[in-house]
Amino acid sequence: MACWRSWIVAGLLLTSNLALADKPVFNLVIRDHLFYPSELVVPAGEKIKLLIVNEDATPEEFESYELNREKVILGGKKVVIFIGPLKAGEYPFFGEFNMATAQGKIIAK
Amino acid sequence: MLLDIIVIVLRETLEASILIAVLLSVSQNQGIKFSWVPITLLAGLIGGIVYGRSLGVISDWFDYAGQEVFSAGLQLSAYVLICMLIPLQWQQAPSCKGLMRFLMSVIVFTALIREGGELYIFYSGFLQKEEIILRALTSGFVGLSVGLSVGALVYYALVVRELSKANAIHAVVLTLVAAGMVVQATQLLTQVDWISSGEPLWDSNWLISESSVIGQVSYAIFGYEATPSFAEVSAYGLSIIGVIVVILSVFQYRNRH
Repeated sequence: MACWRSWIVAGLLLTSNLALADKPVFNLVIRDHLFYPSELVVPAGEKIKLLIVNEDATPEEFESYELNREKVILGGKKVVIFIGPLKAGEYPFFGEFNMATAQGKIIAK
Repeated sequence: MLLDIIVIVLRETLEASILIAVLLSVSQNQGIKFSWVPITLLAGLIGGIVYGRSLGVISDWFDYAGQEVFSAGLQLSAYVLICMLIPLQWQQAPSCKGLMRFLMSVIVFTALIREGGELYIFYSGFLQKEEIILRALTSGFVGLSVGLSVGALVYYALVVRELSKANAIHAVVLTLVAAGMVVQATQLLTQVDWISSGEPLWDSNWLISESSVIGQVSYAIFGYEATPSFAEVSAYGLSIIGVIVVILSVFQYRNRH
């Protein structure tokens, strides 16, 4: 019985976590293999929702070692990535498929 | 440009290459013929292309969490299959060898879907640029060759061990690989907020940078993270405990019967 209760509590916690997905939203656009804006200022100590739109026809992969994030964005599509809560500081990111140009950083303040 | 492509293909190849090398070593030590390999590689290649072509649709599932949920599902499935595979090494029945062959095929298949899918998407971007497609393919071949060479090194490092110790060594390596898969799944689900995350527990970039060659290989082998979250560390520990519990349970069951 106790086992079932644990599962129900775990389920409720997960559900409430999903339901409370009202994090502040920040937008990034990929155009001509560049990120706009290339520097994004976000609040430190808070989880945020990053909406990335790839306006190019070719795919891109958003990647950041510092943020532990990696996600493919097909041409003309948009994706969502949650990041944080971050300590104050700078967190570089790049487009793996076009590393020479697609560079940027998130600045947590 | 050329170097970038080599690095990208190498990164995508490395993880699958090391996994295949470990499983080939298991296969060799168990006296299981490699006949399962070509058909699995072909199926994985086709699976990767299908996944790559379907990623646009999959990405939109679950309010844009589909890519992560699908990939995490594959990683967690592979973990379960590896948990089943490890204790079978100590079983001698011919039916167990057949089951091992099946499990190894499916594990490799799931890895190839993920990595092959990403490579397919990467190269699909070059299809519109005829002038560089040949250079991109050549660079990719170099990256693939380096990835396969690392796999070959892992294979020979594992397969030359004396047979009595081989099962234990494979069990340890497979456990680390499987735990790494669970960490990656945890990270993917954190990325879409299905798992809560806090600030990183530590930062070991000063020791092994995640972007360095050793960091990349460590990530490929056992899911190394320089700045892991509490969820990732817990997942790693629990998945190792999970494997140990499965092995002990199987041995206990065998001793009773």
